[in-house]
Amino acid sequence: MKRILALIIAVLMMATLFVGCNGETGDNGGAAALEPEAGATLKVWAPDAALEVFKAQCDAFIAQYPDAGIKIEVVAQGEGDAATNLLNDPEAAADVFSFACDQLNRLNDAGVIMPVNTNLAADVTARNSEASIKAATLNDLLLAYPETGDNGYYLVYDKTYVTDEDAKTLEGVFEACRKAGKKFIVDAGNGFYSCMFPFTGGLTIEGLEGEDNDVQKFNEYDEAEVVATLEAFATLFHEYDDIFFSTDPSKISAGLAEDPSTCAAGIDGSWNAATVASVLGENYGAAKLPTIKVNDEDKQIVSMHGYKLIGVNAMSKYPNAAQLLADYLSGEACQLERAEKISWGPSNTAAAESEVVTGNVAISAILEQSQYSVPQVNIASTFWDPMGNLGNNLFKEDAKYDTDTLTALLDKTIANIRDE
Amino acid sequence: MIKSYKLRRTFSNILVYTVLLVLGLIWISPLVYLVLHSFRDEGLSTVSYLIPKTYSFKNYIELFTDTATLNFPRWFMNTFVVAIFSCIISTLAVLMVSYSFSRLRFKARKPLINIGMILGMFPGFMTMIAIYYLLKAMGLTQTLVALVICYSAGAGLGYQISKGFFDTIPRALDEAATIDGATRNQIFWKIILPMSKPIVVYTVLTSFIGPWTDFILAKIIMGDMRDNYTVAIGLQTMVSLEFKATYFKRFLAGSVIVAVPISILFLFMQRYYVEGVTAGGVKG
Amino acid sequence: MKYIDLMQLNPFQRFWFKLSTALKAFPGKVKNFFVVIGKFLANFFIGIGKAVAGYVTRFIKGDWATKLSYIIMGAGNVAKGQVVKGLLFFVIQLAYIAYIVFFGWGYLKKFPTLGDVEQGMQINPATGGYELMAGDNSMLILLYGVLTIVLTAIFLALYFASTKSAYTLQQKVAAGEKPVTFVEEIKDLFDKKFHITLLAFPTLTISAFTILPLIFMILIAFTNYNKAHLAPGKLFTWVGFDTFSEIFAMTEGASKGATFVELTKWTLIWAVFATVLNYLFGMILALMINKKGIKLKALWRTLFVITVAVPQFVTLLLMNQMLQEDGAVNVLLMGLGIIDKGILFLNSTPLVARITVIVINCWIGIPYTILITSGILMNIPADLYESATIDGAGPVRSFFSITLPYMLFVTTPYLITNFIGNVNNFNVIYLLTNGGPSTENLYQAGYTDLLVTWLFKLTMNSQDYNLAAAVGILVFIVCATLSLVTFNLTKSAKSEEEFS
Repeated sequence: MKRILALIIAVLMMATLFVGCNGETGDNGGAAALEPEAGATLKVWAPDAALEVFKAQCDAFIAQYPDAGIKIEVVAQGEGDAATNLLNDPEAAADVFSFACDQLNRLNDAGVIMPVNTNLAADVTARNSEASIKAATLNDLLLAYPETGDNGYYLVYDKTYVTDEDAKTLEGVFEACRKAGKKFIVDAGNGFYSCMFPFTGGLTIEGLEGEDNDVQKFNEYDEAEVVATLEAFATLFHEYDDIFFSTDPSKISAGLAEDPSTCAAGIDGSWNAATVASVLGENYGAAKLPTIKVNDEDKQIVSMHGYKLIGVNAMSKYPNAAQLLADYLSGEACQLERAEKISWGPSNTAAAESEVVTGNVAISAILEQSQYSVPQVNIASTFWDPMGNLGNNLFKEDAKYDTDTLTALLDKTIANIRDE
Repeated sequence: MIKSYKLRRTFSNILVYTVLLVLGLIWISPLVYLVLHSFRDEGLSTVSYLIPKTYSFKNYIELFTDTATLNFPRWFMNTFVVAIFSCIISTLAVLMVSYSFSRLRFKARKPLINIGMILGMFPGFMTMIAIYYLLKAMGLTQTLVALVICYSAGAGLGYQISKGFFDTIPRALDEAATIDGATRNQIFWKIILPMSKPIVVYTVLTSFIGPWTDFILAKIIMGDMRDNYTVAIGLQTMVSLEFKATYFKRFLAGSVIVAVPISILFLFMQRYYVEGVTAGGVKG
Repeated sequence: MKYIDLMQLNPFQRFWFKLSTALKAFPGKVKNFFVVIGKFLANFFIGIGKAVAGYVTRFIKGDWATKLSYIIMGAGNVAKGQVVKGLLFFVIQLAYIAYIVFFGWGYLKKFPTLGDVEQGMQINPATGGYELMAGDNSMLILLYGVLTIVLTAIFLALYFASTKSAYTLQQKVAAGEKPVTFVEEIKDLFDKKFHITLLAFPTLTISAFTILPLIFMILIAFTNYNKAHLAPGKLFTWVGFDTFSEIFAMTEGASKGATFVELTKWTLIWAVFATVLNYLFGMILALMINKKGIKLKALWRTLFVITVAVPQFVTLLLMNQMLQEDGAVNVLLMGLGIIDKGILFLNSTPLVARITVIVINCWIGIPYTILITSGILMNIPADLYESATIDGAGPVRSFFSITLPYMLFVTTPYLITNFIGNVNNFNVIYLLTNGGPSTENLYQAGYTDLLVTWLFKLTMNSQDYNLAAAVGILVFIVCATLSLVTFNLTKSAKSEEEFS
C-alpha cells in the first residue's frame, strides 16, 4: 500500500514539475489539446458478438479525424481471456481492449493498463453510472472506460410454466418448475454465481488489502445472518432436488429449446440473453433475481454484478489516439448503438434511460438487479474456487447443512480466499 | 473326455464373446454418441435423450460455410500443414538420435541417454512462457512455423522406443557392411532405414497426431491470431463460455471431421504401429 | 543355486526364483545407484580441473600461432593451413562478441538482482495523458540472462576446443604429419564421427526449446515471481529456498503444505491404479481377442483401438458432458431402471469422483495396452502353458503364474514410462473434472487434482508462478528417482549390449 502511495505522490510531483517547464507547449490545455498521432495504427480487441458493431464504430471514429490517417484493425478476443492474453505479451496485444472488470487488478499490478487521460477523466466520470466508475477505479485512479453496465445474471423463465408472480420468490419459481416437471438450472458450483448465497445474507467485499495488496477484504458481517441464509438456500435446494440442477448455463437455453422443453427457469448470464430470447419468443420471461424466505422474511437475492470496461494498453505506441478511441467507443452514442444491435446494457446514464434500453426485458432485468448487487471489482484471484466450493456444498446430496457445518464452511471459505 | 473338452471350449468361447461384445459396446458407444449427435438437427447445445430425433448435415455445412467468426476449414488446413512438416522433422530427429544411441559408440553416449530420459519427466507448463519469448526473440510468434518448431524441437527426446527397435537389428549386419567399405552414413540410409519400416511408421503416426490434439501451447503462441489457429484450439473455443450455447453441435461435427482422417490413417497403419512398438518398447 | 539346478526347475518356478532374487538385490542396487551418481559428479569436476590444467600447459608449450589462438580463435589453424576451419572458429568468436555487446550483456549484468528500476507512469501535461516510464522486466532479464549463460557455456567449450585443436595441430606439424584438410574432416563427420552429424541438430533444438526453458522454470522457483510481483509492472527477485519452505511449512487449514501432501498421495494412488488396471485389463482383453477359436479378431481389436484415433480432448470433453447429472450416462441408467435419480459422477463425494476418473482413464488407456501387448503375448513359448496345464493349472492360475510374470519382465520399461505418464496425466483430470469435487480443505485445488493440474491452476488462476515452479521440481524429483531406480534394477538396461 505504502509503495503505491509513494508512487502516486511521485507521479503527482513529476506532473507539477512538468507543468512548470512545459508551459508553452500545452497551449490552451484541456481536451482540445488531445489529438490523435498522425498515421496511428491501432489494434482493437472486441468479443465476437460485438465485432461487426465495433468495426463500424471504429470507422466512424476514423472519419472524425480525416487528416490524421488513422488505421484500425478490430480483432476478435473474448473479454474473459483479455487479461491473460495481454499479460502473456503486452507488446503484441491490442492497443484498445474490452475486458471484464474483475481483471482490472491483474492488469494494474502488471502495469500493462494506461490510466484514463486526465483531461478526459472528468467527462467519463460524469457520464457513466457511479457504480461503473467505481468498478473502473483503483486507488482513486480511473484506469478504464466503462463499456457496459450489465455483465451479470438474471432470472430467465418460460412464461408458459412460470408466471411473473411466481418469479418474484425463489420458492414460487421452484414450485412452478416442480408443477411443470421441468428443471431449474443455476451454475451453483461456480464462484461467479455461488457468491450470491452469502451475499444475500449480508456478506460484502471491499477491495484488497495486505502488504502486497493481494488479500481480499471483507466488510463486517453478521455471521448468524449469513449462515441462516445459506441454510435457507441449502434447505430449498435439497427439498427441490428433483428439479434443481447445478450445471453450466448453456444448458438453460438447450433445455428451453428442446421439444418438449426440459427446463422452465434458470439463472443465466446476460451474454446468453439473445439466444434465450430467440428460443422462447413470446414466452420469454426475464426478471431480477427473486427473493428467498429466511427466518420468515423475504430477502432479495444479492448478486455479483460486473461491468465490461475498455482499457488502453500501457505499451501502445499511439497513446493519444488509443485514449481518444476508447473514449469514443465508450461514449453515449456507441453504447446506445450496441444496446440496439446486440442488447448490451449501457453504463452511460443517459443511454440507460433511452427507450431502446427500457424496452429490452433482459437489459432492464439486469439493470434492476444491479441495485441489489455487489460490484465485481477488486477481486483477488483466490476468490473464485473457494466460493464455488461453498456453492457446491449447499446442494450436494450428501452434504450436511446444519448451522454448525455451514458456519465452519463459511469461515473456511473466507480463510481460503484470504489465503490464511 | 474329448467331448467334454470341446464342450468346455465352446462354453468358454461363448463367455469370451459375451465379454468382448459388452465391453466393445461400452468402448464404442461414446463415439457412436458423438457421430449421431453431430448430425442432430433439433435442439441447441445438448438434449436430454440419447438418440436424436431428426438428422441433417446442417452442422457440417455450417461448419464449412459459416466461417466469418470461427473459420474451421482454414484451421483444418493449418493443422494439416503443421502436422505434415512437424511429422517429417520429428521423424528425422527421432531416427537420428535413436540410431546414434543404438548403433554408434562414443564417449558422451551414456550420459546423453540418461539426460534424455530425465528431461522427459519435467511437467512442462512453466516452460511455455519461456518458449514464447524465445520464439518472440526470433520474430516467429503467431506463425505456423513457430508451431512446427515447438512440436518437432523436442522430438529427439522420444528416442526410447525406436532405439529399442534398432537394438534388435543384429550388429553383424553393420560389421559386414563396414568390411565391404560402407561408411556409417551409408549404413544408416541403405541398410538400417529400409529395415525399419515399422518404427518409421510408428514415429510418423505419433508425431502426425500431436498437432491435432494440443490446445494449450498452441493457444499461447497464437494469441489473438485466429487465422492461424489449429483445430484443437478452434474446437476448444467452440465450447468456451461465449460460444457453447450456439456452437456445441458444430463442435461435435468438427470433432468427427478431425477424427475421421486420423482413424483411417491409424487403421491402415495399425499393423506397423504394433510391430514398431512391440519390438521397440519392450525387450525380451 | 547353480545354473544346473535352475534349469531343472519348471518354467513356472524359474520365474519366481528370478523375481525373488531381483527383490533381494533391491537395497544393494539402490545404494549402487547413488554411488554411480556420486561418481558421475566427481568425474565431472575432475574433468573440469583437467581441462583447465591442459589449457594452461598448452599455452606454455604452444608456439606463437597457438598462443595467438588463445586471443583470436582459429589463428593456429589458419597458420598451419586449415584455413576454413580456422575461419569458422573466428566467425564463431565474432558472433559471440557481437551477441554479448549488443544483447547479452545488458541482461547479464542485471541477472544478480533481476532488475532494479520499477516501471512507472507520469503525466504529460501537454496532452493530459499518462506516459510509461519503462522499467526493468525481471522475467525477460531472467530468461535472456539464462540464454546468455548457456550460450557462454557453449562458447567456452568451443574456445577450449579451438585451443586444443591449435595445439594438436602444432604437434602434428612438428612430427612431420600433414594437417587434416577440411574435406577430410567433413568426410569423417559421415563416418567415424557420424554421431556428431546425427546429434547436432536434435541437440541444438532440444537445448533451445527444452533445456533452456527448463532452467528458466527451475530458477523461477527461487524467486518471488507471483501475483504480487507480476512483470513488467513490478520487479521480482531472488528469494532462495523460501518457496520450498512455504510448501513444507505445515500450517493449519488449507495450507500449501497440506495441499501438497494430500495431492502427492492422490497422485501416487492415481498413478498406481491407472497404470496397473490399464495393464491388467488390457492384457486380459488382448488374451481374449487372441484366444484360439475366437473369430473376427480384427473386428474386435478395431472396436477397441479406434478410440485411440479420436483426439483425447474431444472424447474427454464429451465424457464430461455425458457424466453430468442430466447427461447421457444417467439418462441411460435411469432408462434401464437401475437408478431413479441422476448420479453426480464428477462432483459429489471424493471417492465417487476418483473412481470415475480412474474408470474413464481405463477407457482411454486399455486400447493402448491391447495394441502393445498383443504381439508379445503371442511370443510366450507355448511349452510354458503346456507344462502348467499338465500341473493342473486352470486359465486363471496360468495367467497369474505364467503370463503375468513373463509380461512383467518383458514390459518393465513400458510400465515405467506409463507410470510417469500417469503422474503427469494432465488431460484426463483437467478436461474431465477440472480437479473437482471442490473442497475447502485444499489451497486452489480439488479432490481429483493431480500435482500437475494443481501446478497448471497455480499458474493460470492464481499466478503463483514460483510455487508452481517449485511443485514442478518436486514432481520431477519423484519421477526421476522412481524411474532411474527401476530402470537400473531391471535386466533390460543391461541386456542392451546383448547384440553388440
